[in-house]
Amino acid sequence: MKKTLLAAGIVTLLGSAVTAETIGVSMARFDDNFLTVLRNGMEEFAAGMDGVELQIEDATDDVAKQLDQINNFIASGVDAIIVNAVDTSATEAMSNAAESAGVPLVYVNRQPVNVDTLPDNQAFVASNEIESGTLAAFEACQLLRAAGLAGGAQGYLLMGQLSNQAAVQRSKDVDDILGIDMCNFITLIDRQTANWSRDEAQDLMTNFMSSGEPFDVVFANNDEMAIGAIQAMKAGGMDMADVVVVGVDATQDALLAMQAGDLDATVFQDAAGQGSGAVNAALALAAGEDVDQKVYIPFVLVTPENVGDFLSRN
Amino acid sequence: MAETAHGVGGLKYDHSKRARPPEINVLIALVLIVLVFEALGALLMDQSFLFDTRGRFDSIFNEARLKIIILQVAIIGIIALGVTQVIITGGIDLSSGSIVGATAMIAMSFAQVAEVNGSPNPKAIFGPWAMDLPVTVPILVGLACGVIAGGINGALIAYTKIPPFIATLGMMVSARGVAKWWSKGNPISFPTDEYAAIGAGMTPVFIFIFLAILFHFILKYTVYGKHTYAIGSNEAAARMSGINVARHLVLVYTIAGVLAALAAVVLSAKNLTAQSGMGIMYELDAIAMAVIGGVSLSGGRGSIIGTCLGALIFGVIISGFTFLRLDAFYQEMVKGAIIVGAVVLDQWRQQRNASKS
Repeated sequence: MKKTLLAAGIVTLLGSAVTAETIGVSMARFDDNFLTVLRNGMEEFAAGMDGVELQIEDATDDVAKQLDQINNFIASGVDAIIVNAVDTSATEAMSNAAESAGVPLVYVNRQPVNVDTLPDNQAFVASNEIESGTLAAFEACQLLRAAGLAGGAQGYLLMGQLSNQAAVQRSKDVDDILGIDMCNFITLIDRQTANWSRDEAQDLMTNFMSSGEPFDVVFANNDEMAIGAIQAMKAGGMDMADVVVVGVDATQDALLAMQAGDLDATVFQDAAGQGSGAVNAALALAAGEDVDQKVYIPFVLVTPENVGDFLSRN
Repeated sequence: MAETAHGVGGLKYDHSKRARPPEINVLIALVLIVLVFEALGALLMDQSFLFDTRGRFDSIFNEARLKIIILQVAIIGIIALGVTQVIITGGIDLSSGSIVGATAMIAMSFAQVAEVNGSPNPKAIFGPWAMDLPVTVPILVGLACGVIAGGINGALIAYTKIPPFIATLGMMVSARGVAKWWSKGNPISFPTDEYAAIGAGMTPVFIFIFLAILFHFILKYTVYGKHTYAIGSNEAAARMSGINVARHLVLVYTIAGVLAALAAVVLSAKNLTAQSGMGIMYELDAIAMAVIGGVSLSGGRGSIIGTCLGALIFGVIISGFTFLRLDAFYQEMVKGAIIVGAVVLDQWRQQRNASKS
C-alpha cells in the first residue's frame, strides 16, 4: 500500500516535468571499477542531451533486489529501463515484468540468458566476451614465442570470481588458446581464483612463488589481478622483463603499469561506449523505433605500441 | 580460618584439574594442521611445506612461504586485535570491513602524487593542494575516520543500549555507503612513495606484531584490560564494582575502529590503490580468527595470543591449499569446516573441564 502511494506520488511529480525522458538504471554494483566507468559513460552521455534523466540504482550484487528495483521503476512510470544484470541467468523474470508493463528494457554489459528470445522492445548492448580472454592469451603466446620460449613455457592463471560468467569464459579462452598447435608449448602450473581483487592476487602470486617453480607467463582474468601479480613479483625481486603478464579491461592503473614496462598486454573493453550505447538503445526503443536486438561493441588489444591511444579512454 | 591437611577450607589442590591455558590447544591445532600439510606435501607434491628442500634459501626453512603465511593475514590480523577486545566485552563488531573500505578511500585521497609517468595523476580526487602531502596527513585523516566510526559504534551501544550486533550492522551498511559515495565508486590510485612504504614488503607484518605485543600487555596488565574482561564476564557486577561501563565500551569500540582504520591505511598502501569494495567480509575473517583462537563469543574469555594463533592458522590454511594446488572450489568448503571444527573442539574441552571440577 505504502509502495503504491509512493509510486503514485512519483508519477505525479514526473508528470509535471514536461516531456523529459526518464530512464531507470539498475547496476549490478557501484563499487566495481569497470562498471563505474560504464555508469559514468551513461551519465555523461545523458547529461549531454536535453531532457534525458537517469535514475541509477545499486543492486549491490543481489538478484532479488534488482528485480524489485525494476518493478519499482515500472511502478513509477519510467520511459525505459537499463539493466546491468547481477546474475545473467535470472533475467527471464525481468524481461517478463518489463514486457507485461510495456516498458522498453535494455541489458548492458552482461549477456542475459534469454538473449535469443527477447521481446521486441528489449535489446542487449555489450562486447562479445569470447574476444577478450582470447586476444590477451594469444598475444601472450606470441610474445613467448618471440622470446624464444617455443620449446616450453610455464605459467599461472589468476581467475576472477568463479560464479561469474566473464571469469569462466576468460579462463576457458586461455585454455582454448593453449590448446592450439601454435601455443601448446605453454603449460599451466596452477590456476586459482583471486576474486578479481588486487590484494588477493598479490597474496596468491606470492604463494605461487613460494614453491620456487620457475615460470614465464601470468594470465589474469582482469587487470586488477594482473597488477597484484606484478606487485608480488616485483616484491619478490623478479625482473618484469623476464615474465609476460597479460590482463583484461585496460583500466587506467593497468595502462600506466604498461607504460612503466610491467604489463605486457591487456584488452580494452569500451565501458563508456557500452554505457552510451545502452542509453541510445533505450531512447530509441522508448520512441518506438526499431533497434538491433544485439549491439556488439568490439574489444581491442592494447600493447605498449598503442597504449597511448587508450590512456584517456577508460 | 581452619587449616586442614587438604589446604585452605578443606579444598584440595589437584594438579591434574588445573586448566591448561586455552592457547595451548590452539597452538596444538596449528602444529597439527602444519603437519597435515607437510605429510600431504611429501605424499602428493614431493615437496616440503615449510622446509627448504630445494636449496633456494640459506636457512632450512622455505622463507618465502613463511613470509607470505604471515603477510597475508597481517592486515586482517590488525583488525582482529580490535575485534578480540570487543568480543571479550561480550559484544561484536560487524562494521570493521566497511570501516576499512571507507577509511582506505578517504585516507588515500590525501596521499596521492601529482604526477604519474610524467603526466598528471589520472585518479586525482582533490585539486593540486592535496597532492604530495606529507605522509602524516593521510595517516592522521585515516585514524580520525576510525575514531569517528568506532566512537559512533561505542556511543550507540553504551548510551542507547541497542545490541552491538545492530549498532555495528548499521555502521557496516553506512560506512560502505560512505566508501562508495566518496569518489562515486571510482578507485583512487597512485600514492606517494612514503605512503606506499607503509605497506611495502614485510612492513604490514611488523606493524601487526608491534600492535599485537602492545595490546597483549594492555589487556593483561592494565586497568583498561581488567575492566574489559570484567564487563564481558558479568556486566552488572562490573557496574556494581564501580566501573564506568558506558565510558569503557565507547573506548573499546573506538580502539577497534582505530585498528580497522590503521588496517585500511596499510592495505591501501600495500595495494597502491583504494577501492570502495575493499574490506568486504574482513569483519567475518577477523571474528573467525578470534574465535578459532579461543575468544568466547559470550564474552569474558580470550586473549591476544590466541587471536594471533588463530590468524596464523588462517594463513597456514590459505598457503597450504595453494601449496597442494587444491581446486579453488574446495578451499572455501574446507575453510568453513575448519572454523566450525575449531570451535566445536573448544566447546568439548570446556565442557570436559567443567565436569571435572
